[in-house]
Parts: sequence; C-alpha cells; structure tokens
Amino acid sequence: MSAAFKFAKEGGRVVSYAVRAVAFLHLFSMNVYEFSSTSGDSMLPTLQVSNDYAIVDKRYKYGRNVKIGDVIVARKPNAPESWVCKRITGMAGDIILIDPSKGTLTGLDDDDWSEMKEIKTREEIEHSDNYNNYVIVPEGHCWVTGDNLTDSVDSRTYSVLPMGLISGKITHAWYIPHLWPIGDQYLRELENGYKPEHPTERNQGR
Amino acid sequence: MTFTNYSALKYTLKQTLVFLSWVPVLYVINEHVAFVGVVEGLSMKPTLNPESNGAKLDHVVLWKWNCKSIQNLNVNDVVFLRSPINPETVYVKRIKAKQGDLVVPRYPDTRSRVLVPVNHLWVEGDNIHSIDSNTYGPISSGLIIGKAVYIIWPWTRIGPIPTGGRECRESRLSERGG
Repeated sequence: MSAAFKFAKEGGRVVSYAVRAVAFLHLFSMNVYEFSSTSGDSMLPTLQVSNDYAIVDKRYKYGRNVKIGDVIVARKPNAPESWVCKRITGMAGDIILIDPSKGTLTGLDDDDWSEMKEIKTREEIEHSDNYNNYVIVPEGHCWVTGDNLTDSVDSRTYSVLPMGLISGKITHAWYIPHLWPIGDQYLRELENGYKPEHPTERNQGR
Repeated sequence: MTFTNYSALKYTLKQTLVFLSWVPVLYVINEHVAFVGVVEGLSMKPTLNPESNGAKLDHVVLWKWNCKSIQNLNVNDVVFLRSPINPETVYVKRIKAKQGDLVVPRYPDTRSRVLVPVNHLWVEGDNIHSIDSNTYGPISSGLIIGKAVYIIWPWTRIGPIPTGGRECRESRLSERGG
C-alpha cells in the first residue's frame, strides 16, 4: 500500500516536472527563438530541399520591424495549418507587377479559390491575363515570394500576406545532412536579399 | 537569530521558484485553450458593450483551442481576430460567411458580389459603424485568435453571446425572397 502510494507520488512528480519543462520550451519557442526543419524547393538557392534547419527569431512576430528582403516564416493564408517560408519582396504601399513570365493563368480548376477578386464568369477568367497585372500592397500586408520563382506557391497565387500571419524571421540556417555531426554540416547567416536598383533607394533596404 | 531568518528565506525562495515554474504552463493554457477577452470599442454594439460611455467593458470567455481551423468556425460566431490592417490590434467581429459563400457587401465595398476564398471568412461588426470585411475584404482563418463563447463580466450581463448582425450570404437572401 505505502509502496504503491510512494510510486504514484513519484510518478506525479515526474509528470509535473515534464509538463512544466515542455510548457517552458513552448513559451521560449513561441516568443524568443525557434529551431525547426525546413523542406521544399521554393527557397532553393537560400535553403536546401531537405535537412536544412532554420533558426527563427520570434521577436519579429506579426511582422514587427521586418524589412523588404527578409526571409520570414508565416502561416499560409489559404491553408492556415501549414507554414511557409518566403522572402518579403514588397511592403505596404508598394506597387507589384505579379509575374509577367507566367503569361495567362492556366490550371484554374485547381486554384481559382485562392484568387481574391470579384466573381467573374469562367470565360472571363480564362481570357484575362491575371499574372500580368499590378497589385498595390495594402496597409498591414506584405508581398512574399520564394527565391525559386519557378517552383514556389507564394503571393502570386494567394495574393498579399497579412502581417498578422508572420511568426518570425529566419536569421540563420543550419544544414545538417547526417544525424552524426561530421564534416558536411554548415551554419550560415541569411542575408537581406534586397538590392535597390536606383541609387536613391539605397538607404531603404537595410 | 540568523538560523530562523535563513530557513524562512529559503522557504520563501523555494515557493517563489515553484510558482515561477508554473507560469509557462499558465501561458500555454491561456494561449491555446482558453482566456478572458476584453471587448473594447463599439463595433459590436448592441451585442457587446451596449453602453456607449465605455465605462463597463464586456469580458468574455475566449475559447482558443483549435480555433484557426475553418471546421470549428461557424457563421454567427463572435471571434477575436488579429487586424489585417495593423497586426498589433485585435478586432472583435461576427463571422457572416465562410469559404465558398457569395456575399453581398455593404457601403465601403463597391463590388456587387464577393466570393469568399478557401479558408477565408467574411466578418462584420453588429454595429453598422464598423471597420470590417467591407473595408478590408475576406480574412484568412489564420488571423483568428479565439471564439467568444460566454459573457462573464459585468455580472448583470452574464450569459451566452446574443445573436445579431445581418444576413449577407446571397444564397440565404434569395431563399427569403429578398
């Protein structure tokens, strides 16, 4: 009897410590720093397809102090349970040319839900040139694209991203191909990718 | 003399540390399960904050568990959401249409019909003087912070959230012949 009681008490103690430890880690990873794996080829020259780990600075949550050219982690507006990692290529007030290289919009059967626009007839949609258009980024939003434009689902599909969906900015990335730390791994700082084209813009980026 | 002081100090320190170690647990519960939300502003009048002087702010139970998934959000639910215009502010609005609904918008929106995209919601304030989806369009369900389920303060108003607002889905409007 007393042995069983002692066992239960010790078990409760262990569970209580575990709950507090997990909660603390969660608080830390929500508000300070998070270390998480990335996958996919939409950020290809910057982040590897697999085995790449991102160090996310959560002080940039909700887009606080983010600048054009930063790599951010955000919830996908049209699928909030999934997270994407993209580069900011337009801030509020910027006028964006969506993507003239895509030509006319094809494959509408898959993603016409994601277009934020007035309802049109199917014929009108098929004959309009949706990607060869300009968008003004509204207040509190930003324009995000992957670095690998040919294989990226980004603002060109789901339009502007509300800053409230941003969870942090990736400051470092760590490529760890093997569980055992031998040779190939490397840690690098992700740079702001904004290159101003006009000399007068030069001070705005960084 | 020092012996007693020392043990009392040790006891206090230990209790403080035990309390501090539970703070993250409280944080996780407040962030992911439930919390108390305070309604500010008049955009939900007369459902919430019916008195215009703003002296008695309504406090509601804010249910946060799994609230970002569209399956758990229904038309006529009152929700707290992160503003799409300024992410540092929080709005209280009522869901008026979900993904796939055709909406008949009102004043600031000049379009005749709006289609709500997948995983998006159309939100409006019960007060006609409200900055809502008629200004900023449909919002992603990822911006939802929680669902208001019960008024708990002031005590004269304890009870479930009353209904309110207008019908704006075109399918329902045509059913009623209007």
